[in-house]
Amino acid sequence: MLENSIFVLLALFLLLGSAGMVGFKQTLFSAISFMMAMLALAGMFALLDNSFLFLAQIMVSVGAVVVLSLLVIVSVNVKEENLPKEPAKFRWMLFAVVLVAPLAIVIYKALTYMPHTWAKTGEGYGSLKMMGMTLFKDWVLPFEIVSVLLLAAMVGAIVIARKEPSNDA
Amino acid sequence: MMEITLQHYLVLSTILFAIGLIGVMRRKNLLLLFFATEILLNAVNIAFAAISSYYGDLTGQMFAFFIIAVAASEVAVGLGLLVLWYKRTGKIDLDAMTSMRG
Repeated sequence: MLENSIFVLLALFLLLGSAGMVGFKQTLFSAISFMMAMLALAGMFALLDNSFLFLAQIMVSVGAVVVLSLLVIVSVNVKEENLPKEPAKFRWMLFAVVLVAPLAIVIYKALTYMPHTWAKTGEGYGSLKMMGMTLFKDWVLPFEIVSVLLLAAMVGAIVIARKEPSNDA
Repeated sequence: MMEITLQHYLVLSTILFAIGLIGVMRRKNLLLLFFATEILLNAVNIAFAAISSYYGDLTGQMFAFFIIAVAASEVAVGLGLLVLWYKRTGKIDLDAMTSMRG
């Protein structure tokens, strides 16, 4: 089936990208593999019929977060010898994988008892129109709070990044 | 070949969360801390979106949308702080940030 192969491909890219993000020593390589993971995640949202989340993921995670991080990486430009020393990094990661694997198996076993059928969704489920109606009918207050949060983050980032406090009396 | 069910998405989300957790705990590069945090948040996003589709309810997608917004603002402020810290000390080593140790 086409859907299965797309899911497997996207999951592979997602896991490889995030594993590469954790594993690479150079920060720039990590950023690129992080971008790969985010694109695969956007594809995953599209596979789940969430067109709005697909667009938001592409625009925010790839367009804003990764680009901002790349800008910071390039402008900071840490020297190879100034990167933090991390001896025995991969041995720790292997240990963590061994620690986590039983947990994932337990979750899978527990979840196999759930019914396998997806809910029948009507026409236009996850479309921009339906998302907008829900967002501005039932979720207006959280939406406004998030707007205030974004405004506060923007002002905070500008204040932090300013050169010199002009009159810090 | 079997069908893709909710379990696959949830197990994928678990593995992704574990990878992010390893990144947060074991890497000392401050920039990678932000990436690993993003991975953690996005692992939860997958679970929310999958469960939202599973029940045919849009609430999970709303949560995922708000998580995306919060993650964006976190990165904006965090990277500003990182640039400031790098200008002051010339390091992005997490273990070197001990100035607030009591």
